[in-house]
Amino acid sequence: MRLACVYVPQLALQAALRRSPEAHGTAAALLVATGKNKPRVTELDAQARRDGVRPGMTAAQASAVCPTLRLFAATIADAEAGAAALADVGYAFAPRVEREGERIFFAADDLSRLYPTGERAIAQALQAHAARLGFGARVALAATKGAARVATRAHELAVVPDDRAGTHDFLAPLPVHLFTDDPTLRTAFRRWGTRTAGAIAALPLDAVALRLGPAGAAVARLCRGQDDEPFAPQLPPDALEEAVELDYPIYEIEPLAFVLRGLVDRALSRLSGRGLACAGFTLRLLLDPRGLDLREIPLAAPTREAKTLVELVRLDLARRPPEAAVVGVHLIALPARVRATQLDILRPAGPAPDRLATTLARLAALVGPDNVGAPAPVDSWREEAIAMTPYTPGAPPGAPTSASTETRLCLRHRRPPEEIEVLMGRTGPTALRGQETTARVLVAAGPYRLSGEWWQDSASGGSWAREYWDVHASDGAVYRLHRDGRDGRFYLDGYYD
Amino acid sequence: MSSHAAELNLIPELAAQMVPIARLAEPQARRPTGIAALDGLLGGGWPRAALSEIFGRRSSGRTAIARAALIAALAVGEAAALIDAGGTLDARTAAESGLPLPALLWIRCAAAHALKAVDLVVAAGGFGVAVLDLCDARLRVPDAAWVRLRHAARAQGTTVLVATGTRRLGAFASAALELEGGHPAFLGPPSLFAGLGAQVTRVRGGHNRSDERAGNHSGDHENQPPCVSLAFTSRS
Repeated sequence: MRLACVYVPQLALQAALRRSPEAHGTAAALLVATGKNKPRVTELDAQARRDGVRPGMTAAQASAVCPTLRLFAATIADAEAGAAALADVGYAFAPRVEREGERIFFAADDLSRLYPTGERAIAQALQAHAARLGFGARVALAATKGAARVATRAHELAVVPDDRAGTHDFLAPLPVHLFTDDPTLRTAFRRWGTRTAGAIAALPLDAVALRLGPAGAAVARLCRGQDDEPFAPQLPPDALEEAVELDYPIYEIEPLAFVLRGLVDRALSRLSGRGLACAGFTLRLLLDPRGLDLREIPLAAPTREAKTLVELVRLDLARRPPEAAVVGVHLIALPARVRATQLDILRPAGPAPDRLATTLARLAALVGPDNVGAPAPVDSWREEAIAMTPYTPGAPPGAPTSASTETRLCLRHRRPPEEIEVLMGRTGPTALRGQETTARVLVAAGPYRLSGEWWQDSASGGSWAREYWDVHASDGAVYRLHRDGRDGRFYLDGYYD
Repeated sequence: MSSHAAELNLIPELAAQMVPIARLAEPQARRPTGIAALDGLLGGGWPRAALSEIFGRRSSGRTAIARAALIAALAVGEAAALIDAGGTLDARTAAESGLPLPALLWIRCAAAHALKAVDLVVAAGGFGVAVLDLCDARLRVPDAAWVRLRHAARAQGTTVLVATGTRRLGAFASAALELEGGHPAFLGPPSLFAGLGAQVTRVRGGHNRSDERAGNHSGDHENQPPCVSLAFTSRS
């Protein structure tokens, strides 16, 4: 088995840098507060190190040494999003991934079919994909987890030979401190004068185990190219989360939409790396000083268009603004595959699935998600009742195969029915007056009495009883109107057209 | 055709299947309206990849004609969309008339959003027919919007039908029909609304095969009656 290992050094700092891509290439450091002590630098990039910044400095000390230093406060949101994004690097190439701190491992045997030029091409592809997600990663391919782990410590890009002898030869010149973080073991090996893995591999394994215990024996076996550490990959989570904790509260929608754009961009880049799209998302807003605003943003169809998603959120926020200032935003996206369709040689090609999905999402952002879809009749005697169902292009089974030649009138509904004034005669309505219509009634057909839903309580609309009339008015139109049996008022339902 | 077949010494079965190349090109330029009388009036149907207009007063049959075009498109497996400014669609009568509702993309919106919505639908590509229902909309549409929509329809091969109360598209429409409602018919007593008649006049566009053979492409034809009468039946 070939295992790929992707290692992101200083993952916490790189996770913070993901939300500030403009800081890439400048001196940057991560501040971590422990207890009531002042926050201190724990991680820093190469530029900051060159400028004299060292771990343990306070923010003031680091800024004094390097005035251009960008300081980031460590947050749980960044750390979790960074770790999940690192896992997504693996899920873009394999269905299962094992997560281990700043590393991920996954099986890379099948990738040789995609990259027939060799394993170095696989490693380069992994590194490039990690860079797209904002990570500077080290990548190695090896037969065991231990060898891959050591290789990522030693090289930016490494391909460890598959056989045990080759692995041994690869590891032999590497210094011992790459094989263990345990200071006791490092001291012991240095005291013995063994500086490289090759030197340790030459020692009798039983003797090393006797003197340094199981941990020492494991290091010695690894130096020989032997590693029995199990590979325990996991399936990807059902949802994908990106979050940001704000330094200051946001009161208005526009600045919040700006923050959301970054979150959506990062989430979509992770999804697109896995060949997925966003089928809907949940927005969790942390309110100031406490409280939570949870809102579901449904999507008509999976999409990868950030602008559309942000517009949907903006509409939702405008419709129902948060009750207080926002100090944190969590975006939980629901991954879904973009629908693929099998074209039919005998039928015209419909809209491309991905473009249709984007269009539906844009339409939902424009007119609201409840107003886009396929119409469906409702099991009700109320004439104006209609439902909206998800739209799927293409006629369903049983659809007519030829155009109907019968021409039937349509009823154009007013929703809700418009209350009108009606003058009643002995045989029915004789005149009507509404917002857009004032006319004499020339012919009136009716009444047709309908009632129903007496089994429902008043909160659900309750029972209803109506007397319907079809009237030919003097303006030439044929209207449908009804008198409500409960209050005796007349309503205009629409007209035939 | 038969003389050509004889010249080529084709077997009779094959000769019977031959059609002039002009007729082969015809279905690509026109799509059925779903109403035989209108197909004749428009010279084969609604122009493809173009804007067309149906206008008339209330109860003149604009919605029924637009819906017939949707039914005709969906029946041959094309995608179709209805941009319904006001959300007036009646699911029951639509289903009874043969409209496969699950296959129809229905967008109910305010009139102000209708043009943007039809722009998005047409730009998506793959839709055979998009009906923009502005029958009850009081909306002032700038000419630039029609120009943009016409370009998009041409690029994507979509037939865009605009149903309105008064003529709006003018020269931007490749075909335009004016509807004049007639007297409705009532049955009874007890009185039942049975349907109504309408006079449909072609005010713009339209070719027919005889014109093409004669080389007449002006769009208005003296040998073709410019109007037809239609009868619409009620569901009652």
